[in-house]
Amino acid sequence: MGYTLQLERRLSTNWKQAVFTPILSVLAALAAGAVFLLIEGFDPISVYRELFDASFTSKFGITDTLTIAVPLILTGLAAAVVFRMNLFNIGAEGQLYLGAIFGSWAGLALTDGLPTVAGVGLVLVFAAMGGAVWALPAAVFKAFFGTSEIITTLMLTFIALFLMRYLIFGSSSYWRDPETTNFPQGKRVPTSARFELFGDTRLHWGIVVALGIVMLVWVLIRFTSLGFDMNVVGSSPASAAYAGISTRRTVIVALLLSGALGGLAGGAEVAGRAYALDPNGLELGLGFTGIVVAALARYHPFGIVIVATFIAGLRNGGIALQGLPGERVPVEVSLMLQGAILLCAIGGDIFARNRLRLVRTAPQNVEAAS
Amino acid sequence: MNDTTFVLTLAASVAAAVPIALAALGELLSERSGVLNLGVEGMMLIGAVTAFQAGDASGNLWVALAVGAAAGAVFSLIHAFLCVTLRANQIVSGLALVIFGTGVSTFIGKSIEGEPLDTDFVPTRWGALADLPLVGPVLFDQDPMMYITIVLAAVIAFYLNRTRAGLALRAVGESPATADSVGVAVALQRYVHVMIGGLLAGAGGAYLVLGQVPAWSQDGTTAGVGWIALALVVFASWKPMRVLLGAFLFGFARRANFWLQGEGVDIPAEFLSMLPYLLTIIVLVVWGSRDLQRRVGAPAALGIPYIRDER
Repeated sequence: MGYTLQLERRLSTNWKQAVFTPILSVLAALAAGAVFLLIEGFDPISVYRELFDASFTSKFGITDTLTIAVPLILTGLAAAVVFRMNLFNIGAEGQLYLGAIFGSWAGLALTDGLPTVAGVGLVLVFAAMGGAVWALPAAVFKAFFGTSEIITTLMLTFIALFLMRYLIFGSSSYWRDPETTNFPQGKRVPTSARFELFGDTRLHWGIVVALGIVMLVWVLIRFTSLGFDMNVVGSSPASAAYAGISTRRTVIVALLLSGALGGLAGGAEVAGRAYALDPNGLELGLGFTGIVVAALARYHPFGIVIVATFIAGLRNGGIALQGLPGERVPVEVSLMLQGAILLCAIGGDIFARNRLRLVRTAPQNVEAAS
Repeated sequence: MNDTTFVLTLAASVAAAVPIALAALGELLSERSGVLNLGVEGMMLIGAVTAFQAGDASGNLWVALAVGAAAGAVFSLIHAFLCVTLRANQIVSGLALVIFGTGVSTFIGKSIEGEPLDTDFVPTRWGALADLPLVGPVLFDQDPMMYITIVLAAVIAFYLNRTRAGLALRAVGESPATADSVGVAVALQRYVHVMIGGLLAGAGGAYLVLGQVPAWSQDGTTAGVGWIALALVVFASWKPMRVLLGAFLFGFARRANFWLQGEGVDIPAEFLSMLPYLLTIIVLVVWGSRDLQRRVGAPAALGIPYIRDER
């Protein structure tokens, strides 16, 4: 008959593959991006150099990159804790919005006059609660009715989006700043609900909090009985039942934890960058991007820090390109490259773990057809 | 009575249903083959921006539509390769496709942002039929794409339920190993149907600029239609004719605001926008519980890569 491509799992993977695969993936994506840039009449090399310089070589470049990395690390964790157990909460985006809604409410209502640690702490606690609340229906439906969490979390994301828009654009809610009339905006939280900044940069203490949570999640996955239960339920529900682990309880707890992490990302945005409920959520796509970040990091907490920082650098570089004099490179270049890099890295990751082989298909098919 | 706000709203709802239905019918075929493609919004954006440019350059509606559809199909090929050949996680790949599609479409659409397009679909009036009360404006004063969409839904329903090829497709989505054992080329089926999904999403995106608002804007053109289409497939329990009916319902939710305001009913626009997603959750929870899953019709192998060796 003919030949087909077949994937074969590599028996061993070595460190060289682990290092070179991401690099090759990025190079492939840059090559693909270069095609589009050339078509539109830009010099790819100089655009890429400017992108890199803007994000990773100057003090302000690096601190801005890390600022953008904060929510991506948290949404990445939100995806990682459940994806690794084959539970697909793809609603970190919506959980982030709810985190921002709850967090900014706490910031506006509760923190006046408090010391920063307490004020920001309240914002984050409420944000985590908001995210968990938004994951709750999906968790309950999944655990009790077997309803696909993929669909429910996705639907809830859009309900959250319109709820947030309603609070700012559609009503004179508590969150809306009454002073802005022509273009509605969120009311700004008091300074007691804002992270302190590092020196004269825009980087805030949220990065320290995010890294602390990375450690906590790592410990939870590696060393706690909940982490163990989650692992067993994820890899073999039958063994979990045999071992007396309640699948239902574990699924609910895991989804609530994931939602809380997504909510925290929203809280960190309120306390660290936006200082208000920012209704332009979907344009940033932090929750959706977090899922891809987590996948590229193979759902490992430490890997997420690295991947999130890299993606944040791309985003930051895109913004910085706008400020450069001379030829105007559109900010969209960075979004396009992000997508290309994500897609190439998804493919590259598979190549790293598998071998693509050309095999003869003849005998099996003939036998099957007869 | 045909110029009352209600009738005008209904007519507009039917028009608004067209791109939703097109994208959802495509996604339905992809999911029926076992491949979930969350990248609909990205493929629609690509379809819209390329159709605009093709329409601008050629001045021909059908050329523009074909270019948009083809661009969507090419785009979906990325997803097919990653998910079928490389067996990547379909969720992750689909979301990456949205990010890439948004980036590429915004980048190549930069120069046309806000420009008008002269090439657009115009409604055909069916003579006296168009003057019938209610049904006239709703059914007999629409542009050709509405009729094409209705026919398409019927054709897809026939294909799925009444043809041998449709049976093979359903088998691939329900039990790829069984399909494989009787000689159905699983990977080929999945490639083809993912690409038809891209084709129709691209066409839906193209229709947004050719039939609704003849301009391109990155955040305004699709405005979440791709995500609604994803919801619709679930809402319609993976059945083509229900997709069509659901599209009219979701289209109505997108257009009802104007009418409701006139009636003095003050429902915020945002709540109407939530409606399709809320309804989808309700349908899924009520009819889609584990015990009833078979009747609802979620393909059993949806989201699962097929590996022959591990059969």
